[in-house]
Amino acid sequence: MIDAPGPWASGAFVLVEGHSVVHTERVATDGEDCTWLQTEDRSPTVRLHANPHHWNQRRGPRLAEVEFRNDLTSAEALDLVCDGIGEVDLVTEVPAAAARRVQQSRHARLVSVAAVRVLAGVLDREAEGLPLHDGRARRALNLAIDRAALVREAFDGHAAPLHGLTPPTPLTALHRFPGRLRGYPHDRVAARRLWAAAGGASRALRLAAFEGWEAAADVVAAQLRESLDLVVEVGVLDRDQQYEARRRLAEQGSGDWDVLLLDHGSQSADVPPVELHRAFVGRSGEFRAGPVDPRFEQLFARLRAQTSQLRQVLAANRIDRHVTREASALFLVAPRSLYAVNRHVRFLPYATSFELADTSVRRRHWSRRRRSRRPGRDEGQATA
Amino acid sequence: MVGVNGLRPRTAPRGTVRVVDPHPLNWLYLTYNTVEEPVRVSRGGKIRPAAMRRFRWVDRQTLELHFRRERFADGTALDARSFHRAVTEQLRWQAPHPPGTQFNLDRRTRVEVVDDETARLHLPEVDGLVLGKLRATHIMTEHFWRDLGFGYAQGRPGEGHW
Repeated sequence: MIDAPGPWASGAFVLVEGHSVVHTERVATDGEDCTWLQTEDRSPTVRLHANPHHWNQRRGPRLAEVEFRNDLTSAEALDLVCDGIGEVDLVTEVPAAAARRVQQSRHARLVSVAAVRVLAGVLDREAEGLPLHDGRARRALNLAIDRAALVREAFDGHAAPLHGLTPPTPLTALHRFPGRLRGYPHDRVAARRLWAAAGGASRALRLAAFEGWEAAADVVAAQLRESLDLVVEVGVLDRDQQYEARRRLAEQGSGDWDVLLLDHGSQSADVPPVELHRAFVGRSGEFRAGPVDPRFEQLFARLRAQTSQLRQVLAANRIDRHVTREASALFLVAPRSLYAVNRHVRFLPYATSFELADTSVRRRHWSRRRRSRRPGRDEGQATA
Repeated sequence: MVGVNGLRPRTAPRGTVRVVDPHPLNWLYLTYNTVEEPVRVSRGGKIRPAAMRRFRWVDRQTLELHFRRERFADGTALDARSFHRAVTEQLRWQAPHPPGTQFNLDRRTRVEVVDDETARLHLPEVDGLVLGKLRATHIMTEHFWRDLGFGYAQGRPGEGHW
């Protein structure tokens, strides 16, 4: 992370004002392996200027300046991009519940991308009074979920059902080769049979979710109640509670939940298990809530031993099939990344990150029409 | 003329965009927008050469990287030595990457500069995931390493600060 402005590197832009960093706290996950708990520290404004020396001129930069505004909440930013011009041009992480509002806006449009990320449930295999140590119970939970309904009801269609832990994007098609990876169908009868065979529950199931996934948690809870006749209590973790939950998970401690819904992404689509499957199942996984899985470690070692891309894909597929068969997590959906973007900004989203090298503004954009003034919300509405 | 990703070649950078990015990885996205690594990730998510022009496996434990002669934003040269410095600085620390040790290069890794444009990573054992790990090997100017570094300027170690 870059602590201070300066011409420090060769990227498309140069940091000329402000900072956005994280303060980190080490948590050991396994031996010398660790993860870092993160607390954000951002200046109110972070400014980037185009790097005139950047070699890849076909890619960019196409913008002279990017201003990150950290002085606004997400809700305020959404108001400004939808209802005005000039204050905010682009908002990331638009919740699915706000997508229609953006689509109906005069000034903004909705841009979305099939991101390499998952929303899944961590299953506490050592939960007392629940049979989550038993593969039949974990498979029962997965069979109890109607993913199509979840996509419809909690994401307004802006997600894809998840089979295993490999998100369905165009680049992961081979990883999910048809017939090689079969996800869990919605099958209440089989779910009830397996749940009963595993011993059933002697108490309520505690379902927790990170902030932002309340709607999904409510739908999942309703489906589990209906499919398995379970009593399900739903809780939402605020920022401080999430920090603590991450710490306990990484330290292999128990939490105040039996199923924890969280989202997690990968920085590339080439080998999803490195960040996704490893995090939920691996020996050093920051979200592993159960014993080490020797078969997973063996398959992961085989993946690491491959230098051919095709063989890596095949090895990744074997890992995904194993994790799916073992029901190592509650597989839910792959949420699309949604952006609210001013209509005169040509933004090209990335499946794994947020980069602006190839973003440009059209001639009618406020910054190309009026260089000396910063138009306000009312002015923007009046002149649009 | 049509360029990369179907885009036209660049005209002079124009205009300003104001962004609100609540994503917790904003710190990393700022790095990706201002820094290059040997590889980057395409819009679809595929690992592609970036600061390096191409790579090849010399054998199962030796990765050869070919760099283009380019310039940092301060006008100084970026070449194979810049990569050598980036790897050397990274290997000083046990867990430099905030997401976790999964991005670590094996600390027994040796980097060799063959010439201005070519460097070789000698891995102590086969690691087919090393190409993806190079996404976390930020190539910085000599001024950066001297004046700022990843936490060094505040007298801190580089642990968890890459």
